[in-house]
Amino acid sequence: MKLEWIDYLIIAIYFLFVIGIGVLLKRKIKTSIDFLMSHRNIPLWITSLAFISANLGAQEVLGMAANGAKYGLYTTHFYWLGAALAMIFLGIYMMPFYYGSKARSVPEYLRLRFDEKTRTFNALTFAAMTVFSSGVSLYALAMLMQTILGWDFDLSIWMAAGVVLAYTFLGGLTSAVYNEVLQFFLIVLGMAPLVFIGLDKAGGWEGIVRHVEDAKLHVWKGLDHPANNPMGVDAFSMVFGLGFVLAFGYWCTDFLVVQRAMISRNLNEAQRTPIIAAIPKIMMPVVVILPGLVILALQQQYDGFALPAAADGSPNYNMVLPVLLQKLYPNGILGVGITALIASFMSGMAGNVTAFNTVWTFDIYQAHIRKHAPEKHYLYVGKATTIVGILASIATAYVAKGFNSIMDLLQLVFSFVNAPLFATFFLGMFWKRTTGHGAFWGLLAGTLAAAFTHGVTTAEGKGGWIADWHTFYSGTSQAFTIAWIAFMVCLLVTVLVSLCTKPQPEDALRGLVYSLTPKVKDPARRWYKNPLWIGLAVLAVTIFLNLFFF
Amino acid sequence: MNKLFDLGFVIGLFFLVIGLLLLGYGLTVSRQPVNYGCGMLFIVFALFMIGLSRRKRG
Repeated sequence: MKLEWIDYLIIAIYFLFVIGIGVLLKRKIKTSIDFLMSHRNIPLWITSLAFISANLGAQEVLGMAANGAKYGLYTTHFYWLGAALAMIFLGIYMMPFYYGSKARSVPEYLRLRFDEKTRTFNALTFAAMTVFSSGVSLYALAMLMQTILGWDFDLSIWMAAGVVLAYTFLGGLTSAVYNEVLQFFLIVLGMAPLVFIGLDKAGGWEGIVRHVEDAKLHVWKGLDHPANNPMGVDAFSMVFGLGFVLAFGYWCTDFLVVQRAMISRNLNEAQRTPIIAAIPKIMMPVVVILPGLVILALQQQYDGFALPAAADGSPNYNMVLPVLLQKLYPNGILGVGITALIASFMSGMAGNVTAFNTVWTFDIYQAHIRKHAPEKHYLYVGKATTIVGILASIATAYVAKGFNSIMDLLQLVFSFVNAPLFATFFLGMFWKRTTGHGAFWGLLAGTLAAAFTHGVTTAEGKGGWIADWHTFYSGTSQAFTIAWIAFMVCLLVTVLVSLCTKPQPEDALRGLVYSLTPKVKDPARRWYKNPLWIGLAVLAVTIFLNLFFF
Repeated sequence: MNKLFDLGFVIGLFFLVIGLLLLGYGLTVSRQPVNYGCGMLFIVFALFMIGLSRRKRG
């Protein structure tokens, strides 16, 4: 793929705008709350689009197109089952506690609800995971640029990291959030013409139906047995593992996305943020999954759309979007497509870095290193942490370059930590008897149970480092199973330990637990401002989509 | 924190610049319909965002 001056000019203009947003915001930043929490001053449409955009990183854009080709429409479960319901639940039931408790972060809510050790456990694992995820984004960007454009690996890493550092350092979280909105429109408008052109060339939806195997064109039909669907997953693992544990674990407890709702101007907007975000989220498969099906249909009709081989000889599905960009976009719009890809990497990286510096400053530094420093001090710490976070991400990217297996392992540990976390939050918010000791030991036991399950099962040659008791049809199936086992173990251990330890006084739990928090009723509120009604509307559309593509 | 600047206007401005570039490049250099077609699409979107932003301010 060869870029021309027009493509480079578009990339340069994009960099100019993202850094410009940081420069414009710099003079508005006076305190650590401005820098790390946007002073809870961001309008609803921006928080909603930033909420979805923080998740629209490189792994999402490239990975879902790859999954679209590999698993077909079953990939939509990550949206229609594994996102929408959890986002609605977050808005209606959990956001009142996050926002109403005035916690500055998800780990801080854990301190208010449980104790310092549970908060610190979550803060440390989260901080490590965000740096790691940010580094993976950077590594993937540099690899992609090297593969498809022939750019130098080091130059790509330092250029992307430098731009992200410039705008997050200057404007803090607000700058990251504003840029996420710009990146959202760029990704959608940059990729939508590719889908349209590809679909047109493939003969429309009829062309897809004619040329793609039927097994990839359904959402639920083959889930009666793992052998009957390309994902190799059964209905229970899909619904309970992905739809409940992983989806709720990610969307309801991951500070990276929850932070975007917590900076809203008021509770009602904080509640509506994830629900409004669910509307574009359930439409995203058109932009990120459909290209996978389009390339399958094009491969049957034209030469030149074959995917390059991966190291094991199988098609490298991660190249779906690059191949389509190369074949269908001429120079000019190609610059927009490449910029959209770069934007997705930078959006993922900036989201991780801003979540990292908030958690580090408030939940680790202020909680354990320097408790009562002047306000300005925490602003400096937040800014210094941004630089450290970017440098650590660069280091991680280089580690990933040298040791791919280490990255696999770390990815796995990430899922071990996230899966049981929802059990902790679920019990903490809805069962007042849950204690700090219960939460901590439950979390630890759930994480260890996830590691153990991975150690005694295998899938696609991975896992089984203790024994080989069971072999899954696919790695996806293994991941979903590990998730629900970790969740159940965390739930059981938390309940058992809580029942054996001293309950917290009810007065200390007001505003933190559902049964002890007065419900706010506002009869004058219009339907479109009512999170419940919007949530029900989004749910109805999601159910319709599932049935339509059954 | 003081009142922030209008993001809708900045997004509109970005797509206006990119749209005009694509339109100009598509009509004069590449002569590819996809370039000037997308250029026009971006300009329409940009004007919509700028219009919304102006209306809100008014």
